[in-house]
Amino acid sequence: MYYKPLFIFFILLNNFIFSQKKDNSIYFKVLEYSLQFESEPDLKKASLFFSEKEWDSTLVYTQKQLKKNTSNINAKDLSHYIRGVSLSKRKIFIEAKNQLMLISTDFEFSNIKEFYLAYINMRLSKYNEAISHLLPLSRLSNEEFRYFKKNKILNNLALCYSLLNQFDKAEFYFKKHNQNTKDTLQLINNFINRANLYYNNSKNKDLAIKYFKKAYILSKIINYKPSNTNYSKIDFFKRKRKAAKNMAAVEENSKNYKKALTYRKEFEKYHDSLNDQNKIYAVAQKEKEFAVKQKQNEVDILQVQNELQVTQRNIFLYAAISLLVLLSISFYFYREKVKRNKIIALQKEDLDILNETKDKLFSIVSHDLRSSVNALKTSNIVLLDNLASKNINALENLLKKNSAIVNGAYGLLDNLLHWALSQTKQGYFEITDTRLFFMVEQMAYNYKPLMLEKNIQFENNVLKKDIVLADQESLKLIIRNLLDNAIKFSNKDGIIKVSSRNEQEGYCDLIVEDTGMGMSNDTRIMLLEDTLLLSKKEHETIIGTGLGLQLCKTMIKKNNGRFSIESELGIGTKMIVSLPKKQENG
Amino acid sequence: MDSVNVFIIEDTPAESDRLIKVLEANNYTITGVARNFKEALTKFYQVKVDVVIIDIFLNGVADGISFAEAISIVPEATKPFVFLTSSTDRQIFQRAKLTQPFSYLMKPFNELEVLYAIEMAVEKFYAQTDVFLDDEEDTIISDEYLFIKKGKSLKKVSISDIIYIEVEEKYCNIITEKEKFVILISLTKILTLLDNSIFYRTHRNFIVNIEKIIEIIPADNLILLEGNHKATLSEKYKGFIKNVRTLK
Repeated sequence: MYYKPLFIFFILLNNFIFSQKKDNSIYFKVLEYSLQFESEPDLKKASLFFSEKEWDSTLVYTQKQLKKNTSNINAKDLSHYIRGVSLSKRKIFIEAKNQLMLISTDFEFSNIKEFYLAYINMRLSKYNEAISHLLPLSRLSNEEFRYFKKNKILNNLALCYSLLNQFDKAEFYFKKHNQNTKDTLQLINNFINRANLYYNNSKNKDLAIKYFKKAYILSKIINYKPSNTNYSKIDFFKRKRKAAKNMAAVEENSKNYKKALTYRKEFEKYHDSLNDQNKIYAVAQKEKEFAVKQKQNEVDILQVQNELQVTQRNIFLYAAISLLVLLSISFYFYREKVKRNKIIALQKEDLDILNETKDKLFSIVSHDLRSSVNALKTSNIVLLDNLASKNINALENLLKKNSAIVNGAYGLLDNLLHWALSQTKQGYFEITDTRLFFMVEQMAYNYKPLMLEKNIQFENNVLKKDIVLADQESLKLIIRNLLDNAIKFSNKDGIIKVSSRNEQEGYCDLIVEDTGMGMSNDTRIMLLEDTLLLSKKEHETIIGTGLGLQLCKTMIKKNNGRFSIESELGIGTKMIVSLPKKQENG
Repeated sequence: MDSVNVFIIEDTPAESDRLIKVLEANNYTITGVARNFKEALTKFYQVKVDVVIIDIFLNGVADGISFAEAISIVPEATKPFVFLTSSTDRQIFQRAKLTQPFSYLMKPFNELEVLYAIEMAVEKFYAQTDVFLDDEEDTIISDEYLFIKKGKSLKKVSISDIIYIEVEEKYCNIITEKEKFVILISLTKILTLLDNSIFYRTHRNFIVNIEKIIEIIPADNLILLEGNHKATLSEKYKGFIKNVRTLK
């Protein structure tokens, strides 16, 4: 008697596996069906997980979807359906039942829903309810069973009735099932169930024994073929074992112990082979796992190798890049060095030239000074001679001559000093309002005796109002040199005119004009050039270095002024200095 | 008219002698010569000084600048000064420039440069620049004196000696107890620069020293002044009478 619950459980489980194996299409149908709910992303996700049999994820998304409480009944039904099915898969049957009950009647998959409800009720041992769900399904025509088979319904109905001890009805449905099924294994199940039914009912024990025998004989015939995809080898052994066990129980009950022992032995045999099978299966499983692990290891090794390669490649890349950078940097520095060298070479050339001119300047200046001092020396001897002979008249002339020589030498020295100062930029230099007229007056004052000697007529026609922006001392130097030149190159009885002109905007021109010998255009251009000019003099009798004019140009530039010369040979020269004018009222 | 008093600080006798010769030739009075910083400080407060000529380097040290700094501290005692130097050294100049107003005379100098430097110093000191520049003006007014350019040189007249001033276009006749002379200065300038608690305008052309008034005869529009001088009083300027101190 104690076999009964075992059998039923076994059959139910079998049913369940069966439906799962065969009817995967239902899950895709659900997924397809869910696509119409475009505005319900959660439902779509839930269906996707459902089709992949991710029950937990499905539950999460259906929860979300149901919380939204959408008005679309189809969407709602689908949510309840997949939630119910997922729950039942998770073996939470009461909640699953509640979910499925919420589905409205015209649901697309209501048949399956009914099937599931029946299944759940059976699991909950509510057989009457299960029957109420199964009966309508059993009346459907074969065409309407799209996702599961009719004989399953029949089988389940028969089981329910047999569990409810309703013998006739159970027998009826077993029979129906028997007629419907062509599957030997199912047939064995059917026979065993029916035999059980008869046996328990003790109504027709012979029939029960007959069914048991039938099941046993069938179980003897069947053999596992690898081509059979619906059942595993274990399923076959299980059937054989059950059949043998049942036979043993039957023989034992009818006190036929010898036979019972034979069956029992057979049962033991199947039991062992089943266990073997299980072991083989487990070993195979382990092997498979091992193989997978090995594969995984290989994959890992390959991955590591790949990584290594990538790192190597990166190292090469970085090395190449850094090498390139290094190369370009060194190239840059090389170029800089070349540039610097070029500049240094140029500077050296400049310096050489400057040094040469300086040497030349020194030689000329010292020559000039030497001749000046020599002239003084000889003059002094004459002076002493004259003093001894008390020739007073000659003394005055000699002294005048001497002072002229000294003046010249002084001018030269002063220029030299200022030139040195301008080169080293040590001198005081401040551009202020400077009165041109007074500067000319003050400078001309020093040349009064000289001009008198040469009988040169001097006119200062500069306007007293003319105020220029210049450094006073450098302006004096400019004026002095220009006057010096004018006197130097003037003939006896000449005229020197200094005047101002306000023709240019913002500038005041100071013009020193003489009626001297003038100069050629070439000389004029040479004088205006920005180099220290120390070539052989045109007028050899006249002492000069070109330093004065050069100094003038430097100072004019420093005072933001401009310098130009107008000259005509034999007629005279105009030296024009343009200096920034003080702006009126500001 | 008095000559202008010059105080010289110069350590080299030859230089100071030359300076004295040039200045005296141009009617300046040399009231003292100091050879060093200490002597200069003592003498400066003993003698009458209108202008100081300071050699920057006294015995090789830039004491001249120190002296200028010392006298500049007391605004009432300070006088116009000119630095005398042979150096164009930038640093020395930078320091000397701090004693504003700054004027200098570069050695070697000629007569014109000396005179010009003194004029510049006076102009800058009394902040009346460009007065001696052209022929439009020739007078600088300080608190005590009028400095007037006469020819190449500078003269001064004590303001307290002025009895009255008669304005004729751009000339002003200055009448003192002893003399009478013409200066070139604009009326507005003379009015702003003279002490207006002593000098009052009594007529379009008359500015009178209130302390020289002997009698005012409003009926004849006449003011009698010291030294038998008379000035005209016009209706427009009668208001000044209430400022005259009268005997009670």
